[in-house]
Amino acid sequence: MSAPERSEVVIVGGGIQGLLLAFNLADRGCRHVTVLDAGYWQGGASGRNGTLVRGGFSSPEWTAFFEHSVQQWLGLSRRLGENVMYTPRGYLIIAESERTEAVIETAAATHRTFGVRSRRVPAAELPALLPAADHARIRAVIDLADGGTAPHHAVMKAARAAAEAKGVTVRYQTPVTALERQGRRIVSAEAGGRRHDADLFVIASGAHSSDVARLAGVDLDAEPFRIEAMASEPVRPLITQAIALIDRLTYLHQTARGEIVGGAELPGETAKRNIVSTEYVMPRYARHLVEMFPQVASLRIRRQWSGMLHPAPDGGPLVGPHPDLDNLWVTAGWTYGIAGAPGAADLLSRAIVTGTIDPRMAAFAVDRFRRGRPVPEASAVIDNASAVTRPEKLG
Amino acid sequence: MAQALARLAHAPADEVSFRLDGRRMTGRHGDTVAAALYGAGRRRLGHSLKHHAPRGLSGSFPAGHLATVEGIPHCRLDRMALVEGLDVRTEGAWPTPGLDLLALARLAPRRWLWAGFEHPRAIPNGAPLWLLWERMLARLAGGADAAPRARAGGVVAGRRIAADLVVIGGGPAGCAAAAAASGRVVLVTRGVPASPPGSHVEVLAGHEACALYRGGRLAAAAPHDPRASAVLIDAARVVLATGRISVPPLVPGAALPGVLDAATALALAGRHGVPPGRSVAVIGTRDRDKVAERLAGLGVAVVAVCDAHDVTAVLGRHEVEGLLANGRRILCDAVVHAGPWRVDPALAFQAAAGGELRLSRGELPGHLTVVGDAALPPEPIAMPAQLDGAAYVCPCMDVTLAEIRHHLKRGVTHVEELKRLTGCGMGACQGVPCWDLLAAVVARATGASPEAVGSPSYRAPRGALTFGQAAGLAASTESEP
Repeated sequence: MSAPERSEVVIVGGGIQGLLLAFNLADRGCRHVTVLDAGYWQGGASGRNGTLVRGGFSSPEWTAFFEHSVQQWLGLSRRLGENVMYTPRGYLIIAESERTEAVIETAAATHRTFGVRSRRVPAAELPALLPAADHARIRAVIDLADGGTAPHHAVMKAARAAAEAKGVTVRYQTPVTALERQGRRIVSAEAGGRRHDADLFVIASGAHSSDVARLAGVDLDAEPFRIEAMASEPVRPLITQAIALIDRLTYLHQTARGEIVGGAELPGETAKRNIVSTEYVMPRYARHLVEMFPQVASLRIRRQWSGMLHPAPDGGPLVGPHPDLDNLWVTAGWTYGIAGAPGAADLLSRAIVTGTIDPRMAAFAVDRFRRGRPVPEASAVIDNASAVTRPEKLG
Repeated sequence: MAQALARLAHAPADEVSFRLDGRRMTGRHGDTVAAALYGAGRRRLGHSLKHHAPRGLSGSFPAGHLATVEGIPHCRLDRMALVEGLDVRTEGAWPTPGLDLLALARLAPRRWLWAGFEHPRAIPNGAPLWLLWERMLARLAGGADAAPRARAGGVVAGRRIAADLVVIGGGPAGCAAAAAASGRVVLVTRGVPASPPGSHVEVLAGHEACALYRGGRLAAAAPHDPRASAVLIDAARVVLATGRISVPPLVPGAALPGVLDAATALALAGRHGVPPGRSVAVIGTRDRDKVAERLAGLGVAVVAVCDAHDVTAVLGRHEVEGLLANGRRILCDAVVHAGPWRVDPALAFQAAAGGELRLSRGELPGHLTVVGDAALPPEPIAMPAQLDGAAYVCPCMDVTLAEIRHHLKRGVTHVEELKRLTGCGMGACQGVPCWDLLAAVVARATGASPEAVGSPSYRAPRGALTFGQAAGLAASTESEP
């Protein structure tokens, strides 16, 4: 085994969470931050997600946290020194039933309280705003002005470059195989045939976060959950905004390459741990898409793929110190990881460096289930206790 | 105006008229749209995504055989039968196909259009200029408008078939496997079966096997006919008899209109009586003489035959004008390649792949057998000792060898990372054949074997299924157990 490496902070996971956290820690003065990742760059959920970003939810906790993240998104290109392609092209949450119309009413009230730029779209405006949709199906729409899309290839490139420019060491294809403990502290991570000693460890390992926690002998209240997405062949702009069809558990947008990218959830699905694609989701997503946007019927599907979320019982992230160890921090449990990453990295780095935990982050504490304090999100109907998240949680 | 090619003696005589960009054209009875256009001298049909380089029917790279037909964008002209009065429109030109100012992109240094150009520092995101820029990119990349509602069709009810055996591929090996089997057999073929496989076999002709799921379930559809039902086939056993494809050499000009693979050239000349060119060079591996003889036997003027590994460039500005092989310049207006022969790996990959961090090729499952040419080992990619950076690794998305080298020099050797950095293989072909070229380049640079370098994940359904067809399968698929 090679000589041990010494870092101030070791982050396990080089996805959007790990890279942005590493950048923020270095920016706040951490001298030696090392990121270790088992896979390849953009190989996990950070390279497979729907790229949708929004701040407005219906619960105060979700809205406060994700709206903070959206504000970070708006300034992210400037901070990272590279264009992250965040496009605040508007995020439409579309309701097609009485039930979801009520969800939108609640959300609108929450947005007013938190100063989120959102508005109910009058039916008369729909033909101009969303010309390709079947307007007769739509009961209510909320338009989040600062919401939009951020293609992962741009932000992952910018985050990695910015972190490395600040002196962060980033290693891919370097799986952490062991976490050595002394009492309530982790002292070393074993990866790539060498020890990585550090004062502090962070789990930012996406769907594999619970596995990494188990290496240290502790648990996280979330498990991997496969979801599927697909992309069409390109066409000229047809759909401008990011779209969530909350009755259909479906989300989509059209990329700058002209492809319509999105996915759907099957209600009542159980957690699956792999990234193979199946024949089950594609027909259902296709049906939702064709019903709402009839012109796509003759468009061909170019590729389908899948990736894994890491949903906790309430679908919200797990952000903060791990209750069972003194120097283990966590940013995991992500279902809305791309939307929440800049906010989580900002608040978590602040907490690690200053010791002060922001209340917006405290709501998503790692031990909240133990304390009986889940953060239910009314706009996200949880299908069962095994954490099936609905698509409004996947944008 | 392009000169029509004189049809070969055996070409069908009956004329069929159609319109290209509003102009009246004629083809012959039994033509595909692509054959009719090729015969009419229209070899340039499409463009690459960024350089706007001309592309044509090639058998290898889809950018050259897609067009809007009867209002439906990106139709595969090489699969679509020509019918009287068909309205065909080329895509991706601006403002008009006749006056295409986008061709100016060919003058830009290639480096300016390397992946990443779409998010320059100069245009900060969030700014109104950024929204305009992004919309312009999407408009250019889209190439064509979506079909109007009245033309798009809707959900096409799907079919589900249970079978003891499904055979994919209608060549001699596929037909033999289907004929020899007992029980309920389904044969899926892009064209028509090479021989009648027997009455116990249900033949899905003109269908593409677009996804092979784990457990053996196969999805097939007719990609050129969005009104035809998609089919899900549950089969106890699967036989892959998909044959082999010829991969063009990794040299500059290999994607020019006028470069055809042997299968496409033989179909053009044999079935439609359209010669690949007035003077044709045949390159390839062992089969090149056989292919040259067959072409000559059909009346095609073959001017040279040489080893694909000796080729260093295909010459020409907008179309093929010649070939450079062993330092010798050969004048020709078409190049037909017959090897190196490789297998389209997509279906086998999908059936076997698994993983959590990366989908990787696993062992073929027990219910899957590969027969015929598809079971032969792949021949090495033809690439000269001195690689030329101007060669395209991915001609549809404009990824040059120089761009791949740029990343290799920076230590990026993982094919999945190279795919994400360059967009290589993200076009209509979804990596077939360009990921084979990518693997060969990485292998050459790193000293690893192409097999060890591997490939990115081969995704289904590769444009062979529309949303309307896919939606029709919802009733045939229960939720995953």
